[in-house]
Amino acid sequence: MESKIETAWCPGCGNLGIRNALETALQELPVTAKNIVFTSGIGQAAKMPHYLDVNYFNGLHGRSIPLAVGIKLARPELTVIAYSGDGCIYGEGGNHFIHTIRKNIDITILVSDNKVYGLTKGQSSPTTDMGIKNSLDPAGNENTPLNPLSLAISMGAPFVARGFAGEPEHLKIIIKEAILFPGTALVDILQPCVTFNRINTYQYYRERVYKLESPVADRFEAMKIAETWGERIPIGIIYKHEGVPVRGIRQNLFGNPVSEEEMIRLLTARHASRV
Amino acid sequence: MECNLLVGGEAGQGLASIEIELTTLLFRLNYCYFATKNYMSRIRGGHNFHMFRISDQPVYALSGKPWNMIIALDDETETRHKPALKDGGNFLAGEQIREIEKAATDTYHNPVASNTIITGIILATMGVQTEAIEKIVDDPLHMEQIRTGFAFSGNWKMTKRFPVIAQSVNRLQFDGNQALAFGALLGGCQFMAAYPMTPATSIMMYVTRAALEMPVHFEQAEDEISAVNMALGASYAGLRAMVATSGGGFALMTESVSLSGMTETPIVIIDAQRPGPSTGLPTRTEQGDLNFVLHAGHGEFPRAVFAPGSIDEAVIVAKNSFDLADRYQMPVIILTDQYFADSMQIVEEQVPTDVSDRDYRTFDAGYKRYQLTADGISPLTYPGLSDALVRVDSDEHTEEGAITEDLNLRIRMMDKRLKKGELLRKDARMPGFFGDRDADVFLVCWGSNKSIVKEAVEKIRAGGRQIGALHFSQVYPLTQEMVAGYDLSAKRLIGIENNATGQFAGLLKRELDIKMSDLILKYNGECFTVLELCRLIQEKI
Repeated sequence: MESKIETAWCPGCGNLGIRNALETALQELPVTAKNIVFTSGIGQAAKMPHYLDVNYFNGLHGRSIPLAVGIKLARPELTVIAYSGDGCIYGEGGNHFIHTIRKNIDITILVSDNKVYGLTKGQSSPTTDMGIKNSLDPAGNENTPLNPLSLAISMGAPFVARGFAGEPEHLKIIIKEAILFPGTALVDILQPCVTFNRINTYQYYRERVYKLESPVADRFEAMKIAETWGERIPIGIIYKHEGVPVRGIRQNLFGNPVSEEEMIRLLTARHASRV
Repeated sequence: MECNLLVGGEAGQGLASIEIELTTLLFRLNYCYFATKNYMSRIRGGHNFHMFRISDQPVYALSGKPWNMIIALDDETETRHKPALKDGGNFLAGEQIREIEKAATDTYHNPVASNTIITGIILATMGVQTEAIEKIVDDPLHMEQIRTGFAFSGNWKMTKRFPVIAQSVNRLQFDGNQALAFGALLGGCQFMAAYPMTPATSIMMYVTRAALEMPVHFEQAEDEISAVNMALGASYAGLRAMVATSGGGFALMTESVSLSGMTETPIVIIDAQRPGPSTGLPTRTEQGDLNFVLHAGHGEFPRAVFAPGSIDEAVIVAKNSFDLADRYQMPVIILTDQYFADSMQIVEEQVPTDVSDRDYRTFDAGYKRYQLTADGISPLTYPGLSDALVRVDSDEHTEEGAITEDLNLRIRMMDKRLKKGELLRKDARMPGFFGDRDADVFLVCWGSNKSIVKEAVEKIRAGGRQIGALHFSQVYPLTQEMVAGYDLSAKRLIGIENNATGQFAGLLKRELDIKMSDLILKYNGECFTVLELCRLIQEKI
């Protein structure tokens, strides 16, 4: 699959590097484009599926995850990926993020995390650092930033990773592992916003990121890594816990409609006084 | 003959158990009955009451006649309902209830046995023979408890006081929500997501239970926004899907109603209405959401709104809604309410059992999800069935489903979507008519008032006055064809609605320039009874 589409992103946008990593990852995976479905919300990151050769449902702000859940439950054979930004997944869709992790359905959640609202021009997002000034926080953001990784681990997410748009080869490997992982997999992707985030730049991350050698299987140890931020920022698969039961469906739905015999049985059992 | 019965008490005192036990036995004994309830939004305490109309004839509404029998498990029942007891009616309360409870604990060592004893008393009052009950009750202990009820009834001289003959011919029993759920399954619905909310929850319970034995999935969502998006996801992926909620939950879904309209993703949404605004009266009834569902969702897109009024109609409307949602690739909304949802009744009409299914077409890689066509309907397929990629977008989009800000294309896409609404108008479900077509007075109703209005019309006609009534089960769109031949401009029209402002009357005026002369509105959270409605109509004519 090779998409040569002009994007709506700024020159140098972190999403460009993510798109390259994603496109290569999808090419290298043993799934065909027709069996891959992306869901996305609203924002610059949510335009990602438009620039890939895949099926997609580009829905409402914050709602990419429940769309993905519905698709996966309906058609377990499809590879389902929810893709959006930090504002969409962690802010507007925060409730879905938390409760979908509890379901442990086999979907992948990829988040372009640029720590800012880009499309609405630079306001604080759930992951914006305290003290950052912008159009709606002229005196500086007063809210503690959300840590998606430790939140996901604490909710019992079995696969939690962080990638960096400036390391596309490394990111590609993480994305492939996340998609292949049986269960809900989260990849928070550090995405420099070249227009509205003058702090968390490519340079900023290059000076701080280090690659984790392998994921840990202990949740408490993983929490420590997930909480590491500042002079050193870990990237890679932080936590991986296989063997957590994956939510499925009782019986095939698609191509297996309810029969008239079943409806007659239901009518007789529940609504008729005698057989 | 008929027996009108009220059982009142606190939540948690076994009223619901008595209702289930009584209706199950009445059903199996071939009685015609109608049962509905009035309950408070709490788990224990308060005051609830269950109403039963047991009759020789099929009955589909509360009569409104004085109660032949009242069973008062609490003092409140006496205060509130005894004034409506028929002269010479049976009133069971206080010391008698304590005797029943004593028998349950002393003889059966089980306080719950009093529910069965009370059921036995009711059946004895109606003149049921114990031999008939023995034929349908297998458990000897259960039968013994019913006999204890008969003994109490004998001691208290209540037996055969209000005899009713069992002569129901068809033997199907449904409440309104069960009928909608059954109809949805007939419509090929295989996916439901929802968040519990009274009075829609029993639809979820029905589908969940059916899903244990059928290829159907129910998913409880973290909120209604998630529920509707899960259903849209499942529909996009290829399954017929629905959600059910009440007004407050529907409010959370409204952005996604618009999403369904824009992405042309079929979905069926059931709004089981309760009185608002806001939390309102969570367990009572109202037809207050009509204007809301008509206008829910930003922007302009086609939709259909139905409000079935009887069990057979609820089954058919629910079933057909899935075909319609697919045919026009749009949201279909079904309005019901607490009254109809909670009304258990015997059905005389045949109920279909054939299941409709989606059309699964395949296309090549050149497939365009939003292909511009003459009738506005683009070919629909689902991911993974062929080389066709299915790309749908909430933004204004190209034929391929890519974001666009081409403003000329915007016009063509809007026209395409709205064209479907024009076609939909030709597919209208005609209103039902009861009574005299030549009458100078017509009643106009919609949704759950159907059977109440129908019986009121029969009563007024029996009194020698001509009258007619129109009942709309399709409330939007409204077309001239739906009212053609009734000469409505020459009639005196009386609108009957369970809301405070006459929302359907307003809609008829806006859409068809039909004006009601009078309105009969009830919005205290309770349904009309037949006698009450007759009285209100007589005052107007």
